[in-house]
Amino acid sequence: MSRRLWFILAILAGLGLGLLYGWVINPVKYVNTSPDSLHPDYKTDYILMTAEAFRTEGDPALAARRLAFLGATPPVEMVQQAVVYAGQAKYATADIELLIRLAQALQSWTPGVTPGSP
Amino acid sequence: MEDRRGPWFLLTGLILGAALGLLYSWVLSPVKYVDTAPLSLRADFKDTYRKVIAAAYASSKDIGRARARLALLDDSDPAQALAAQAQRILAEGGSSADARSLALLAGGLGQRPASSETPAPSQKPSLLPLTPTPSPTLTATASPTLTVTPLFTITPSPTAGLTQLLPSATPTRPTPTLTVTSATRVRVTPLPTQPSLTPTLTPGLPFVLKERSKVCDASRLDPLLEVQLNDAAGNPVPGIEIRISWTNGEDHFFTGFKPEVNPGYADFLMTPDTTYNLQIQDGGAPVSGITTVVCTQPDGQTYPGGWYLKFSQP
Repeated sequence: MSRRLWFILAILAGLGLGLLYGWVINPVKYVNTSPDSLHPDYKTDYILMTAEAFRTEGDPALAARRLAFLGATPPVEMVQQAVVYAGQAKYATADIELLIRLAQALQSWTPGVTPGSP
Repeated sequence: MEDRRGPWFLLTGLILGAALGLLYSWVLSPVKYVDTAPLSLRADFKDTYRKVIAAAYASSKDIGRARARLALLDDSDPAQALAAQAQRILAEGGSSADARSLALLAGGLGQRPASSETPAPSQKPSLLPLTPTPSPTLTATASPTLTVTPLFTITPSPTAGLTQLLPSATPTRPTPTLTVTSATRVRVTPLPTQPSLTPTLTPGLPFVLKERSKVCDASRLDPLLEVQLNDAAGNPVPGIEIRISWTNGEDHFFTGFKPEVNPGYADFLMTPDTTYNLQIQDGGAPVSGITTVVCTQPDGQTYPGGWYLKFSQP
Protein backbone atom coordinates (compact mmCIF):
# COMPACT_ATOMS: atom_id res chain seq x y z
CA MET A 1 0.00 0.00 0.00
CA SER A 2 2.73 2.42 0.92
CA ARG A 3 4.54 1.35 -2.26
CA ARG A 4 1.51 2.36 -4.36
CA LEU A 5 1.31 5.62 -2.51
CA TRP A 6 4.94 6.37 -3.29
CA PHE A 7 4.34 5.42 -6.93
CA ILE A 8 1.45 7.85 -7.15
CA LEU A 9 3.50 10.53 -5.46
CA ALA A 10 6.31 9.94 -7.96
CA ILE A 11 3.86 10.35 -10.83
CA LEU A 12 2.59 13.59 -9.33
CA ALA A 13 6.12 14.87 -8.83
CA GLY A 14 6.94 13.99 -12.43
CA LEU A 15 3.76 15.68 -13.58
CA GLY A 16 4.74 18.79 -11.66
CA LEU A 17 8.21 18.75 -13.17
CA GLY A 18 6.77 18.27 -16.65
CA LEU A 19 4.40 21.20 -16.24
CA LEU A 20 7.19 23.34 -14.80
CA TYR A 21 9.38 22.55 -17.79
CA GLY A 22 6.61 22.94 -20.37
CA TRP A 23 5.03 26.10 -19.01
CA VAL A 24 7.91 27.93 -17.34
CA ILE A 25 11.37 26.67 -18.28
CA ASN A 26 10.79 25.86 -21.93
CA PRO A 27 7.29 26.88 -22.99
CA VAL A 28 6.04 26.72 -26.56
CA LYS A 29 7.51 29.75 -28.32
CA TYR A 30 5.67 31.68 -30.99
CA VAL A 31 8.23 33.59 -33.01
CA ASN A 32 6.41 33.80 -36.33
CA THR A 33 2.99 34.91 -35.24
CA SER A 34 0.27 36.20 -37.51
CA PRO A 35 -1.28 39.65 -37.21
CA ASP A 36 -4.63 38.34 -35.99
CA SER A 37 -2.94 37.37 -32.71
CA LEU A 38 -1.83 40.94 -32.00
CA HIS A 39 -2.93 42.61 -28.79
CA PRO A 40 -5.96 44.90 -29.33
CA ASP A 41 -3.71 47.89 -28.57
CA TYR A 42 -1.54 47.08 -31.55
CA LYS A 43 -4.47 46.15 -33.77
CA THR A 44 -6.12 49.47 -33.00
CA ASP A 45 -2.91 51.35 -33.65
CA TYR A 46 -2.52 49.51 -36.96
CA ILE A 47 -6.05 50.54 -37.93
CA LEU A 48 -5.22 54.09 -36.86
CA MET A 49 -2.18 54.02 -39.15
CA THR A 50 -4.44 52.92 -41.98
CA ALA A 51 -6.78 55.79 -41.14
CA GLU A 52 -3.89 58.27 -41.09
CA ALA A 53 -2.76 57.11 -44.53
CA PHE A 54 -6.35 57.18 -45.78
CA ARG A 55 -6.61 60.85 -44.84
CA THR A 56 -4.30 61.83 -47.69
CA GLU A 57 -4.66 58.84 -50.01
CA GLY A 58 -8.48 58.80 -49.96
CA ASP A 59 -8.52 55.26 -51.32
CA PRO A 60 -10.94 53.00 -49.41
CA ALA A 61 -9.92 49.98 -51.48
CA LEU A 62 -6.31 50.42 -50.44
CA ALA A 63 -7.38 50.91 -46.84
CA ALA A 64 -9.47 47.73 -46.98
CA ARG A 65 -6.50 45.81 -48.39
CA ARG A 66 -4.36 47.06 -45.53
CA LEU A 67 -6.98 46.09 -42.98
CA ALA A 68 -7.19 42.59 -44.43
CA PHE A 69 -3.75 42.15 -42.86
CA LEU A 70 -5.48 41.81 -39.49
CA GLY A 71 -7.77 38.97 -40.48
CA ALA A 72 -10.96 38.06 -42.23
CA THR A 73 -13.26 40.36 -40.27
CA PRO A 74 -15.00 42.84 -42.60
CA PRO A 75 -13.03 46.11 -42.69
CA VAL A 76 -15.97 48.22 -41.49
CA GLU A 77 -16.40 46.02 -38.43
CA MET A 78 -12.70 46.22 -37.70
CA VAL A 79 -12.73 49.99 -37.76
CA GLN A 80 -15.93 50.13 -35.67
CA GLN A 81 -14.27 47.96 -33.03
CA ALA A 82 -11.19 50.17 -33.21
CA VAL A 83 -13.29 53.28 -32.63
CA VAL A 84 -14.89 51.72 -29.57
CA TYR A 85 -11.53 50.54 -28.26
CA ALA A 86 -9.92 53.92 -28.95
CA GLY A 87 -12.70 55.63 -27.03
CA GLN A 88 -12.25 53.30 -24.06
CA ALA A 89 -8.47 53.66 -24.17
CA LYS A 90 -8.79 57.45 -24.28
CA TYR A 91 -7.15 58.01 -27.62
CA ALA A 92 -6.78 61.61 -28.74
CA THR A 93 -9.89 63.12 -30.28
CA ALA A 94 -8.14 63.75 -33.58
CA ASP A 95 -7.22 60.08 -33.83
CA ILE A 96 -10.76 58.95 -33.11
CA GLU A 97 -12.02 61.34 -35.75
CA LEU A 98 -9.66 59.78 -38.26
CA LEU A 99 -10.98 56.33 -37.41
CA ILE A 100 -14.55 57.51 -37.76
CA ARG A 101 -13.84 59.04 -41.17
CA LEU A 102 -12.35 55.75 -42.30
CA ALA A 103 -15.35 53.85 -40.95
CA GLN A 104 -17.70 56.15 -42.84
CA ALA A 105 -15.71 55.78 -46.06
CA LEU A 106 -15.65 52.00 -45.79
CA GLN A 107 -19.33 51.87 -45.01
CA SER A 108 -20.19 53.60 -48.28
CA TRP A 109 -17.54 51.72 -50.23
CA THR A 110 -18.42 48.60 -52.15
CA PRO A 111 -15.59 46.20 -52.91
CA GLY A 112 -14.72 46.14 -56.58
CA VAL A 113 -16.42 49.43 -57.31
CA THR A 114 -14.32 52.53 -57.68
CA PRO A 115 -16.09 55.62 -56.38
CA GLY A 116 -17.06 57.84 -59.23
CA SER A 117 -16.85 55.15 -61.85
CA PRO A 118 -19.84 54.63 -64.12
CA MET B 1 10.58 -10.07 -2.18
CA GLU B 2 9.62 -6.44 -2.35
CA ASP B 3 13.06 -5.27 -1.30
CA ARG B 4 14.65 -7.02 -4.29
CA ARG B 5 12.68 -4.89 -6.69
CA GLY B 6 14.31 -1.78 -5.27
CA PRO B 7 13.19 1.83 -5.71
CA TRP B 8 12.97 1.75 -9.55
CA PHE B 9 9.20 2.11 -9.37
CA LEU B 10 9.75 5.64 -8.14
CA LEU B 11 11.77 6.53 -11.22
CA THR B 12 9.13 4.91 -13.44
CA GLY B 13 6.44 6.98 -11.75
CA LEU B 14 8.51 10.13 -12.10
CA ILE B 15 9.07 9.58 -15.82
CA LEU B 16 5.44 8.69 -16.40
CA GLY B 17 4.34 11.84 -14.55
CA ALA B 18 6.81 14.02 -16.45
CA ALA B 19 5.59 12.61 -19.74
CA LEU B 20 2.00 13.36 -18.76
CA GLY B 21 3.03 16.86 -17.69
CA LEU B 22 4.74 17.57 -21.00
CA LEU B 23 1.82 16.11 -22.93
CA TYR B 24 -0.50 18.49 -21.13
CA SER B 25 1.74 21.59 -21.27
CA TRP B 26 2.97 21.18 -24.85
CA VAL B 27 0.03 19.51 -26.60
CA LEU B 28 -3.21 19.63 -24.65
CA SER B 29 -2.84 23.07 -23.12
CA PRO B 30 0.24 24.84 -24.44
CA VAL B 31 1.05 28.43 -23.54
CA LYS B 32 -1.19 30.54 -25.74
CA TYR B 33 -0.05 33.84 -27.17
CA VAL B 34 -3.24 35.62 -28.01
CA ASP B 35 -2.07 39.16 -27.32
CA THR B 36 1.22 39.24 -29.11
CA ALA B 37 3.38 42.24 -29.93
CA PRO B 38 4.47 43.24 -33.44
CA LEU B 39 8.04 42.15 -32.77
CA SER B 40 6.96 38.49 -32.80
CA LEU B 41 5.37 38.79 -36.24
CA ARG B 42 6.70 36.76 -39.12
CA ALA B 43 9.20 38.64 -41.29
CA ASP B 44 6.80 39.24 -44.18
CA PHE B 45 4.13 40.51 -41.79
CA LYS B 46 6.70 42.85 -40.29
CA ASP B 47 7.35 44.18 -43.80
CA THR B 48 3.66 44.91 -44.22
CA TYR B 49 3.53 46.55 -40.80
CA ARG B 50 6.53 48.71 -41.72
CA LYS B 51 4.89 49.77 -44.99
CA VAL B 52 1.77 50.92 -43.17
CA ILE B 53 3.86 52.82 -40.62
CA ALA B 54 5.56 54.56 -43.54
CA ALA B 55 2.25 55.30 -45.26
CA ALA B 56 0.90 56.82 -42.05
CA TYR B 57 4.05 58.89 -41.67
CA ALA B 58 3.80 60.10 -45.26
CA SER B 59 0.38 61.46 -44.33
CA SER B 60 0.96 62.78 -40.82
CA LYS B 61 4.68 63.66 -40.93
CA ASP B 62 4.73 62.76 -37.24
CA ILE B 63 8.24 61.38 -36.86
CA GLY B 64 7.89 60.81 -33.12
CA ARG B 65 4.90 58.58 -33.59
CA ALA B 66 6.51 56.74 -36.51
CA ARG B 67 9.64 56.19 -34.46
CA ALA B 68 7.62 54.76 -31.56
CA ARG B 69 5.77 52.46 -33.90
CA LEU B 70 8.95 51.25 -35.54
CA ALA B 71 10.36 50.51 -32.09
CA LEU B 72 7.61 47.90 -31.71
CA LEU B 73 9.22 45.86 -34.46
CA ASP B 74 12.52 45.80 -32.56
CA ASP B 75 14.70 46.27 -35.64
CA SER B 76 18.31 46.83 -34.66
CA ASP B 77 18.50 49.77 -37.07
CA PRO B 78 15.01 50.91 -38.11
CA ALA B 79 16.26 53.32 -40.76
CA GLN B 80 18.36 50.64 -42.39
CA ALA B 81 15.47 48.18 -42.22
CA LEU B 82 13.24 50.70 -44.01
CA ALA B 83 15.86 51.50 -46.62
CA ALA B 84 16.60 47.84 -47.25
CA GLN B 85 12.90 47.08 -47.64
CA ALA B 86 12.47 49.96 -50.07
CA GLN B 87 15.36 48.72 -52.15
CA ARG B 88 13.94 45.19 -52.11
CA ILE B 89 10.59 46.51 -53.32
CA LEU B 90 12.24 48.36 -56.20
CA ALA B 91 14.42 45.37 -57.07
CA GLU B 92 11.35 43.12 -57.18
CA GLY B 93 9.41 45.59 -59.29
CA GLY B 94 7.00 46.39 -56.47
CA SER B 95 5.03 49.51 -55.72
CA SER B 96 6.99 52.68 -56.31
CA ALA B 97 4.70 54.51 -53.89
CA ASP B 98 5.55 52.05 -51.13
CA ALA B 99 9.27 52.41 -51.81
CA ARG B 100 8.93 56.16 -51.78
CA SER B 101 7.11 56.30 -48.45
CA LEU B 102 9.62 53.89 -46.90
CA ALA B 103 12.50 56.03 -48.16
CA LEU B 104 10.74 59.14 -46.89
CA LEU B 105 10.46 57.65 -43.41
CA ALA B 106 14.03 56.31 -43.49
CA GLY B 107 15.15 59.80 -44.38
CA GLY B 108 12.91 61.29 -41.72
CA LEU B 109 14.54 59.12 -39.08
CA GLY B 110 17.92 60.39 -40.10
CA GLN B 111 16.80 63.99 -40.47
CA ARG B 112 19.30 66.39 -38.96
CA PRO B 113 18.68 69.90 -37.76
CA ALA B 114 19.04 72.54 -40.39
CA SER B 115 22.58 73.70 -40.92
CA SER B 116 24.26 76.24 -43.08
CA GLU B 117 26.28 73.60 -44.84
CA THR B 118 24.92 70.37 -46.19
CA PRO B 119 26.83 67.39 -44.84
CA ALA B 120 29.09 65.75 -47.32
CA PRO B 121 27.78 62.59 -48.86
CA SER B 122 30.91 60.58 -48.30
CA GLN B 123 31.03 60.86 -44.55
CA LYS B 124 31.31 57.69 -42.61
CA PRO B 125 28.29 56.89 -40.47
CA SER B 126 30.32 57.09 -37.30
CA LEU B 127 31.06 60.73 -38.00
CA LEU B 128 27.43 61.69 -38.35
CA PRO B 129 25.63 62.10 -35.05
CA LEU B 130 22.13 61.19 -36.06
CA THR B 131 19.50 63.16 -34.31
CA PRO B 132 16.81 63.63 -32.35
CA THR B 133 13.37 62.62 -31.83
CA PRO B 134 11.12 65.29 -30.58
CA SER B 135 8.97 64.17 -27.68
CA PRO B 136 5.63 63.32 -29.19
CA THR B 137 2.75 65.00 -27.49
CA LEU B 138 -0.72 63.81 -28.21
CA THR B 139 -3.19 65.90 -26.39
CA ALA B 140 -6.79 66.70 -26.89
CA THR B 141 -8.18 69.80 -25.34
CA ALA B 142 -11.78 69.54 -26.30
CA SER B 143 -14.24 66.83 -25.51
CA PRO B 144 -16.64 66.82 -28.42
CA THR B 145 -19.23 64.23 -29.17
CA LEU B 146 -18.38 62.51 -32.39
CA THR B 147 -21.19 60.88 -34.25
CA VAL B 148 -21.18 58.41 -37.05
CA THR B 149 -24.47 57.88 -38.73
CA PRO B 150 -25.78 55.26 -38.62
CA LEU B 151 -22.95 53.30 -37.07
CA PHE B 152 -22.52 54.54 -33.53
CA THR B 153 -21.98 57.47 -31.24
CA ILE B 154 -18.96 57.90 -29.12
CA THR B 155 -17.79 60.46 -26.64
CA PRO B 156 -14.03 60.47 -26.33
CA SER B 157 -12.25 61.53 -23.22
CA PRO B 158 -10.15 64.68 -23.40
CA THR B 159 -7.00 63.07 -22.11
CA ALA B 160 -4.14 62.00 -24.26
CA GLY B 161 -4.14 58.65 -25.96
CA LEU B 162 -1.58 56.25 -27.27
CA THR B 163 0.81 57.24 -24.56
CA GLN B 164 1.66 53.65 -23.86
CA LEU B 165 2.95 53.36 -27.39
CA LEU B 166 4.84 56.58 -27.57
CA PRO B 167 7.83 56.81 -25.31
CA SER B 168 9.36 60.20 -24.91
CA ALA B 169 12.76 60.74 -26.38
CA THR B 170 15.42 63.14 -25.41
CA PRO B 171 16.82 65.15 -28.28
CA THR B 172 20.56 65.17 -28.45
CA ARG B 173 22.46 68.02 -29.95
CA PRO B 174 24.80 66.98 -32.69
CA THR B 175 28.38 67.97 -32.25
CA PRO B 176 30.33 69.79 -34.93
CA THR B 177 32.29 67.51 -37.17
CA LEU B 178 35.18 68.12 -39.49
CA THR B 179 35.30 65.54 -42.17
CA VAL B 180 37.76 64.93 -44.97
CA THR B 181 35.72 63.21 -47.61
CA SER B 182 38.22 62.77 -50.38
CA ALA B 183 41.52 64.01 -51.60
CA THR B 184 39.87 67.00 -53.17
CA ARG B 185 37.03 68.02 -50.88
CA VAL B 186 36.93 69.10 -47.28
CA ARG B 187 33.66 69.98 -45.62
CA VAL B 188 32.73 71.26 -42.23
CA THR B 189 29.47 70.46 -40.58
CA PRO B 190 28.86 73.26 -38.15
CA LEU B 191 26.83 73.09 -35.00
CA PRO B 192 23.26 73.86 -35.89
CA THR B 193 21.61 76.72 -34.17
CA GLN B 194 18.01 76.41 -35.25
CA PRO B 195 16.88 72.80 -35.16
CA SER B 196 14.30 72.08 -37.80
CA LEU B 197 13.28 68.50 -38.34
CA THR B 198 10.88 69.01 -41.20
CA PRO B 199 12.19 69.76 -44.66
CA THR B 200 10.36 72.63 -46.23
CA LEU B 201 9.90 70.97 -49.58
CA THR B 202 7.86 73.02 -51.97
CA PRO B 203 5.95 70.57 -54.16
CA GLY B 204 6.12 71.33 -57.82
CA LEU B 205 9.25 73.44 -57.70
CA PRO B 206 11.97 71.81 -59.79
CA PHE B 207 15.32 70.89 -58.34
CA VAL B 208 18.15 72.86 -59.87
CA LEU B 209 21.70 71.55 -60.20
CA LYS B 210 23.83 73.71 -57.91
CA GLU B 211 27.05 71.82 -57.76
CA ARG B 212 28.75 69.21 -59.90
CA SER B 213 32.10 68.02 -58.67
CA LYS B 214 34.40 65.08 -59.31
CA VAL B 215 34.94 62.67 -56.47
CA CYS B 216 38.35 61.05 -56.30
CA ASP B 217 38.53 58.68 -53.36
CA ALA B 218 41.16 55.99 -53.64
CA SER B 219 39.69 54.14 -50.68
CA ARG B 220 36.66 53.23 -52.75
CA LEU B 221 36.73 50.25 -55.01
CA ASP B 222 33.96 51.49 -57.27
CA PRO B 223 33.03 54.98 -58.47
CA LEU B 224 29.75 56.38 -57.22
CA LEU B 225 27.35 58.90 -58.64
CA GLU B 226 26.33 60.74 -55.49
CA VAL B 227 23.22 62.90 -55.47
CA GLN B 228 22.19 65.34 -52.78
CA LEU B 229 18.76 66.99 -52.81
CA ASN B 230 18.00 69.98 -50.62
CA ASP B 231 14.97 72.17 -50.31
CA ALA B 232 15.08 75.93 -50.64
CA ALA B 233 16.07 76.27 -46.97
CA GLY B 234 19.01 73.92 -47.41
CA ASN B 235 17.41 70.98 -45.62
CA PRO B 236 17.97 67.53 -47.15
CA VAL B 237 14.86 66.08 -48.79
CA PRO B 238 14.18 62.33 -48.54
CA GLY B 239 11.76 60.29 -50.63
CA ILE B 240 12.45 61.91 -53.99
CA GLU B 241 12.65 59.53 -56.93
CA ILE B 242 15.68 59.73 -59.21
CA ARG B 243 15.76 58.04 -62.58
CA ILE B 244 19.05 57.17 -64.19
CA SER B 245 19.38 55.79 -67.67
CA TRP B 246 22.15 54.58 -69.91
CA THR B 247 22.38 53.01 -73.34
CA ASN B 248 21.05 49.60 -72.41
CA GLY B 249 19.13 50.21 -69.29
CA GLU B 250 17.43 52.31 -66.68
CA ASP B 251 17.18 52.29 -62.93
CA HIS B 252 15.48 54.37 -60.31
CA PHE B 253 16.04 54.95 -56.64
CA PHE B 254 15.07 57.38 -53.90
CA THR B 255 16.82 59.79 -51.63
CA GLY B 256 16.66 58.57 -48.05
CA PHE B 257 17.91 55.06 -48.76
CA LYS B 258 21.07 55.88 -46.84
CA PRO B 259 19.86 57.92 -43.90
CA GLU B 260 23.06 57.17 -42.03
CA VAL B 261 24.82 59.36 -44.59
CA ASN B 262 22.19 62.00 -45.17
CA PRO B 263 18.38 61.94 -45.55
CA GLY B 264 18.60 63.74 -48.88
CA TYR B 265 21.39 61.60 -50.19
CA ALA B 266 21.33 58.83 -52.76
CA ASP B 267 24.04 57.15 -54.75
CA PHE B 268 24.41 54.89 -57.72
CA LEU B 269 27.29 52.59 -58.61
CA MET B 270 28.77 53.66 -61.93
CA THR B 271 30.41 51.41 -64.48
CA PRO B 272 33.45 52.86 -66.29
CA ASP B 273 32.94 53.67 -69.98
CA THR B 274 29.19 54.01 -69.57
CA THR B 275 27.41 57.31 -70.07
CA TYR B 276 24.51 58.09 -67.77
CA ASN B 277 21.63 60.52 -67.84
CA LEU B 278 19.99 61.56 -64.60
CA GLN B 279 16.52 62.99 -64.03
CA ILE B 280 14.89 64.06 -60.79
CA GLN B 281 11.39 62.66 -60.96
CA ASP B 282 9.75 65.62 -59.24
CA GLY B 283 10.97 68.03 -61.88
CA GLY B 284 14.07 69.77 -63.06
CA ALA B 285 16.31 69.63 -66.09
CA PRO B 286 18.00 66.30 -66.76
CA VAL B 287 21.73 65.97 -66.31
CA SER B 288 23.27 64.09 -69.19
CA GLY B 289 26.66 62.83 -70.25
CA ILE B 290 27.78 61.57 -66.84
CA THR B 291 30.73 59.20 -67.03
CA THR B 292 33.37 58.07 -64.60
CA VAL B 293 36.44 60.26 -64.31
CA VAL B 294 40.09 59.25 -64.21
CA CYS B 295 41.76 59.97 -60.89
CA THR B 296 45.43 59.67 -60.16
CA GLN B 297 47.07 58.55 -56.96
CA PRO B 298 50.28 60.21 -55.71
CA ASP B 299 52.30 57.26 -57.04
CA GLY B 300 50.89 57.84 -60.50
CA GLN B 301 48.41 54.95 -60.54
CA THR B 302 44.99 55.78 -61.93
CA TYR B 303 41.58 54.67 -60.74
CA PRO B 304 37.98 55.52 -61.68
CA GLY B 305 36.29 58.33 -59.80
CA GLY B 306 32.69 59.40 -59.53
CA TRP B 307 30.58 62.53 -59.38
CA TYR B 308 28.82 64.51 -56.70
CA LEU B 309 25.70 66.33 -57.86
CA LYS B 310 23.95 68.70 -55.52
CA PHE B 311 20.44 69.90 -56.35
CA SER B 312 18.39 72.49 -54.57
CA GLN B 313 14.98 74.01 -54.95
CA PRO B 314 15.16 77.69 -55.84
